Amino acid sequence: MADNNNVNLPPGFRFCPTDEELVVHFLQRKASLLPYHPDIIPDLDLYPFDPWDLDGKAMAEGKKWYYYSRRTQNRITTNGYWKSLGCDEQIISSSSSKRVGVKKYYVFHIGEAPDEGVKTNWIMQEFRLSDGSSSSSSSGRSKRKGQSKTDFSKWVICRVFEHSCDNDDDGDDDNDGIELSCLDEVFLSLDDFDDVSFPN
Amino acid sequence: MSLQLLLCTPRLSFSVIILIFFSLVMSEEEVSLSVNVNGQSKVPPGFRFHPTEEELLHYYLRKKVAYEKIDLDVIRDVDLNKLEPWDIQEKCKIGSTPQNDWYFFSHKDKKYPTGTRTNRATAAGFWKATGRDKVIYSSFTRIGMRKTLVFYKGRAPHGQKSDWIMHEYRLDDNTIANQDASGPNLCDSTQEDGWVVCRVFKKKNYHKSLESPQRSLSGSLDSRTQLQSLNKDGVLDQLLVYMGGNRSCKQEIESITTNHNVLQQFVTPINERFYQLPRLDSPTMTMSPHYSLVSTNFNQELSFKPHVTDFLTEADQPTNMDHDSRERLDNWADLERLVATPLNVQINSSKQLYSCYGEPSENFCFSLDNDEQEPPHLGDSTTSDKSNHVVYTSEIDLWSFAQSSSSSSSPDPLCHLSV
Repeated sequence: MADNNNVNLPPGFRFCPTDEELVVHFLQRKASLLPYHPDIIPDLDLYPFDPWDLDGKAMAEGKKWYYYSRRTQNRITTNGYWKSLGCDEQIISSSSSKRVGVKKYYVFHIGEAPDEGVKTNWIMQEFRLSDGSSSSSSSGRSKRKGQSKTDFSKWVICRVFEHSCDNDDDGDDDNDGIELSCLDEVFLSLDDFDDVSFPN
Repeated sequence: MSLQLLLCTPRLSFSVIILIFFSLVMSEEEVSLSVNVNGQSKVPPGFRFHPTEEELLHYYLRKKVAYEKIDLDVIRDVDLNKLEPWDIQEKCKIGSTPQNDWYFFSHKDKKYPTGTRTNRATAAGFWKATGRDKVIYSSFTRIGMRKTLVFYKGRAPHGQKSDWIMHEYRLDDNTIANQDASGPNLCDSTQEDGWVVCRVFKKKNYHKSLESPQRSLSGSLDSRTQLQSLNKDGVLDQLLVYMGGNRSCKQEIESITTNHNVLQQFVTPINERFYQLPRLDSPTMTMSPHYSLVSTNFNQELSFKPHVTDFLTEADQPTNMDHDSRERLDNWADLERLVATPLNVQINSSKQLYSCYGEPSENFCFSLDNDEQEPPHLGDSTTSDKSNHVVYTSEIDLWSFAQSSSSSSSPDPLCHLSV
């Protein structure tokens, strides 16, 4: 369940969806009850799993876990709760530059909601469809501006990961291999001195 | 919509063309609904080819060297000498999803028949190795090496460094030899040890989303963090970028300005002179307070300087005077450059001189007040300006006093006063 079992891909392929892909391909299609492939993200509904219990239940890739859930006012788990960071980020379609979704950040707290908890490093990004993009919009495109509000999908996609100090990204991508190492950078900048004349 | 076309149109080939056209033109969400543009590989949405180094070497390159078939032709063969880095992304793309890195197999050919150096020149430039090769391990056994190369536009040694980086992975000679010994069908692999697998990507200078605009989903948080990081990274990074060559700097600026107009005011002045960089933080600040500060400082300095130099000339040999006067001239030139009204300063400094020389001894005061009592050779100084005259007389008095007290020969007393 955890890994890409039903996706037969050669080594090297990993599930690293962009925010837009999560919203447009997975969330929109699920919300509009369209078939989507690959069906790899499990639906955990509102099961009160703690983040460290997601392994084996949610779709795992690297150190990130993906699952469908539903919108809820307070996301309470067995041992704690997800507290909203209060900053929403718009997901904008790269092609049509329309707003397609909203990304909401949560931090996991151990303890009693709402204020008794102890903050952890577990982060959740909750993706929901934009207010305008309704679940009933045919095949996930057009007519997005038609229905202005209400009826936005109850489905959300959660991406959960543990925030570490050396990786203070928002977790969009892990460029393990494709970044230059510090040493490489030093050598590169040393190369500069060979053939660069300083500006006056 | 394109799918419907495909089903409805009787002429299948025509509809396929339309389909491809639509997939190219239309939004990504529709591309993901239809077939892949590439046609060769069908990568489901959300999946990226992000192989580890071990996967690259152990799975892909080993298979390549051993002529084994690799399912899904994800890594293609490329003639590195015929492919510019900016064409690689088109040639080596996997599916239709946005990529930050591209992979290909390349067969190393030697630059010279006898040597071991590899020719990595293209039509537009060349790949130059940088740093040291890195050993790649797989569970503590060495399996290969990684070489890092940078693409330079132009011809060596005058190439212009670009942001294109290549990691070239090669299997260890040992690995291949072992394979030869063990595998029966691999006897040819020694000839094929020129195969390498490469990963090409663009170096990220500021922030990752600047490099990949298609991936930056430009949320409010994103731009905020970018602004912060830009401020945090600060001038040093910009200098480094600048040192990397004008071209790359400009490209960087262009990419920033096109993506984030907000940042334009922060970045564009890099094109101009460096001394304007401090103004970046406070673009509204005018120069006037700074300017006046300089001029007052200068007044004080200048009023002090002649005093010192004069005493220096007085103590030193007369041959030093030329040097001193030139030095003072430089000061004056600086002053005129910096201050809008040099005359004011001249007067100021002359006043200062006046007071300086006036104080130490009564004698000088007296000589300043009474021009007639000056020594006769001062008549040569034909100065009409009153203030100048005052300055000169005071200095010359001092000088002549010193000269008369010392028994050395007297050169032209005005030589160090060349104004």
